[in-house]
Amino acid sequence: MSYENYLAGEPVIITAALTGGVQGKEATPHLPETPEEIGKAAAEAEEAGASVVHVHARKDNGERTFATERFQEIDDEIRRQADDVIIQHSTGGTGASDEDRHLPLRTDPAPEMASLDMGPMNRYDHLTSENTRGLVDSLHEEMVERGIKPELEIFNDGHMNETYGLLERRDLAEPVYGTLIFGPGTLTPPKPRNFINAIDNLPEGAQFNTLGFGRHQLPFVTMGILFGGHVRVGLEDNIYYERGELATSNAQLVERVARIADELGREVATPSQARDILNL
Amino acid sequence: MTCPFLEYRSEANNRQFDEPRAYCGAAEQFVQPMRADICNNRYDLAHDEHCEIYLEHADEVSAGNENGNETENTGQSAGDGA
Ligand code: SF4
Repeated sequence: MSYENYLAGEPVIITAALTGGVQGKEATPHLPETPEEIGKAAAEAEEAGASVVHVHARKDNGERTFATERFQEIDDEIRRQADDVIIQHSTGGTGASDEDRHLPLRTDPAPEMASLDMGPMNRYDHLTSENTRGLVDSLHEEMVERGIKPELEIFNDGHMNETYGLLERRDLAEPVYGTLIFGPGTLTPPKPRNFINAIDNLPEGAQFNTLGFGRHQLPFVTMGILFGGHVRVGLEDNIYYERGELATSNAQLVERVARIADELGREVATPSQARDILNL
Repeated sequence: MTCPFLEYRSEANNRQFDEPRAYCGAAEQFVQPMRADICNNRYDLAHDEHCEIYLEHADEVSAGNENGNETENTGQSAGDGA
């Protein structure tokens, strides 16, 4: 994908990362945690232009859970409140066992998509989310069995190598769909030249999604739109609308990026168009 | 065993929650849900290995507290059930 894809005016898929697995209502009261709140946030995000919602599960006190049953409750609420939005479960889980990491794939029906972290990421000062190749392969295997499209989360350039490694080890359904992630710490440094470089390094025929953390969310999704990619926004990655002003909802962040895509001449994909683009 | 600095509070620092949430007595603030799993020693996580706040304040913990005799920790230390 490239600037030519932008010029061709191909539709842009907006993913709303509603909740995340790190922060909660202690960071912002607007972050949805319960199934009801997540269902409502998904419906509002879809209304604002999101065709995919990226979902993590929480207990009633906001703490993480990987239980299939909780993902099921959340999915049921999303389907009850939203129209046709594509559900993408996270399989991330710092500190969780490999077995727990598989649990989000086992809802009925299975999610149409699920994230697949391509390698390690440091958390806090004494913790690393390992994401071994063995785990990547076993998660991918179960996704194939259950008809789930993997969203490859590429935290940095090393993970781009890991993506090629996965392609050598496994047959991935086309198109390969990778999220390029920019921000602090283990992530790719958020510089435009790194963004261009990452796009150049993508496997032939891959579709890319663009994710910038914190204040990098808006400029990087704008670059994603301009370079023919897809974009992810949401309170998981950024809780502010402007400097010092909390975003009031996921939908508010989706609305803004949908408006930018429209101004830049790219149609915002409906869920049905997103299914076609991603071959779901 | 949970971190001796862990409490569950519905209210602190001008914030109120319906469900009691993990609160760190050392940092005097509510903790992120991911960190709450460290506070609770859930999964493969351990407060005395993975939490830099605990490691900075470890010398404030008496042997009795670290053996689970703390009075302020109101619980919710069970595993995730996931
Ligand atoms: S583990 Fe760390 S954050 Fe949690 S209560 Fe203990 S010192 Fe505070």
